[in-house]
Amino acid sequence: MEEQNNSGAVNPEAQSKPPAQPVPAAAPRGAVPWLKLIAGLYALSLIAAFFVINKADAARRNRPKDMDISKLTGLIQSKKDAVAVIPLYGVISQGSSSRSWENGSQQIAKRIKTLAAKKEVKAIVLDINSPGGTVGAVQEIYSAVLKARAETKKPFIARFGEVSASGGYYVAAACDQIMAHPGTITGSIGVIFSVSNFEGLMKKVGYRNEAIKSGKFKDIGSATREMTPEERKLLQGLIDDSYEQFVKAVSDGRKMSIDQVKLLADGRIYSGRQAKEIGLVDSLGDLQDAIDQAGELAKIGKNPRVLSDSDPFENLMSLVDSKLSLFGTKSVVEAIDLAPSLEYRWYGR
Amino acid sequence: MNLFAALETLIDRPETLAGEARPEGLGRTGLLGYFAGTLGLFVCLRMFSAVPPGIMSFSVVLLLVLAANFFLAASMHLFMDFTGVKGSAARLFLAFGCSDYFLALLVPLAFFIKLEVLNGFFCFCLCFLAVIYTRVRLVLRLYPVSLNKALLSLWLPYAGLCAVSFVACVYSIAWLVWLVI
Repeated sequence: MEEQNNSGAVNPEAQSKPPAQPVPAAAPRGAVPWLKLIAGLYALSLIAAFFVINKADAARRNRPKDMDISKLTGLIQSKKDAVAVIPLYGVISQGSSSRSWENGSQQIAKRIKTLAAKKEVKAIVLDINSPGGTVGAVQEIYSAVLKARAETKKPFIARFGEVSASGGYYVAAACDQIMAHPGTITGSIGVIFSVSNFEGLMKKVGYRNEAIKSGKFKDIGSATREMTPEERKLLQGLIDDSYEQFVKAVSDGRKMSIDQVKLLADGRIYSGRQAKEIGLVDSLGDLQDAIDQAGELAKIGKNPRVLSDSDPFENLMSLVDSKLSLFGTKSVVEAIDLAPSLEYRWYGR
Repeated sequence: MNLFAALETLIDRPETLAGEARPEGLGRTGLLGYFAGTLGLFVCLRMFSAVPPGIMSFSVVLLLVLAANFFLAASMHLFMDFTGVKGSAARLFLAFGCSDYFLALLVPLAFFIKLEVLNGFFCFCLCFLAVIYTRVRLVLRLYPVSLNKALLSLWLPYAGLCAVSFVACVYSIAWLVWLVI
């Protein structure tokens, strides 16, 4: 009852008071001063960081301070100047495809052209370790070197490794200078055209080959029959012509007379030291010596920056290719490939 | 609106992000956040000579950050939209910019890393975790979703990118083998 009364009764005090206003929420503490402080600190740390970065950069720029003459020449030269080293290893051939990572003559010629055209490349070293190869492939590289030399006027140095005979020497003849180890096998200036004859073997196994030809020389070099005297004469003419080209290339490159070259060009091999004595090689030394020599010829000093043409993608592909070819028959096919070919090649290995 | 005031509003009243009208100054604050964050990251990397100097170099990093965040915001919004949650992609992108202010911490931290007081990897992780935590909180404000879904939507683009990279890697190896054989 009392509650009812309370609720029902009108409180005169409450009636006289105005309705209670909602209490305003406590104003949030201002973050602006803190943000300004953080921004200021950030600006300070940025300034300090720029100062540190500038100091570090300046220190890096002024690093070579000792009075070594070779270092001083290094300061004068442009930072990018370099000597390019192009490897030429193994038998020189056209290659079975135009894949950029293969070491066919067209890829090597392209590398020579590309590197010679680069502004920072001041000289090129051809690192040759090859017994030669087919005439066409060797001449493709030779021609690329001659053209690059004529167009860019950059010095080319040939450096011989273990073997640089026949076609390997042909390519080197296009260079300004040749450097070899004292024990390098070189020389073998000449041409070879070898034909196998399986006639006897074929008769034993009962195999017979018939050739229907448009001319009497159409199957010249066939492995299933004896070579005729006429064919031998014709092939000798071909070989003599290729030989003359080789002799001329050596004569032009080494500044020797044709007769002088012919005296040396009976197909014999020479050691690096012997080759130096007879003028087929300019100096003896290793790859680093050749690079130093190239640097000096290009007027960028000894021990120059070396630029390799190795492209990471091409290196990877070359590696994958070589690994996969082990599972294939490529190497076997190459080993038993007895198709006749005209070659500037030394078969002594 | 003042930049500091806009940031203060975001810190003190983050619910305004999901309001009817876009919070005043959010655009400038977000974009400046990207700039400040990228500058912090760039200066830190420059202190360790990890990036080349110059305006162009910084511009490339900034463009990369903007593009990556644009992609992240777009893919997150798409995910939210597909799962029936409504929100604004533009606000998400700009809010991400605000979270990038934490990357500015990398500049002072770089000094400690240089002095070998702190570990570099730890500092980077710290900053990126702060950024990610802030982004999760911002996603929770912008979209009416649970914490788990916010986390999922944030990591989903990263996971997607990892998956795409993995598929591309497998495909490229298969292509290499096919090319060689």
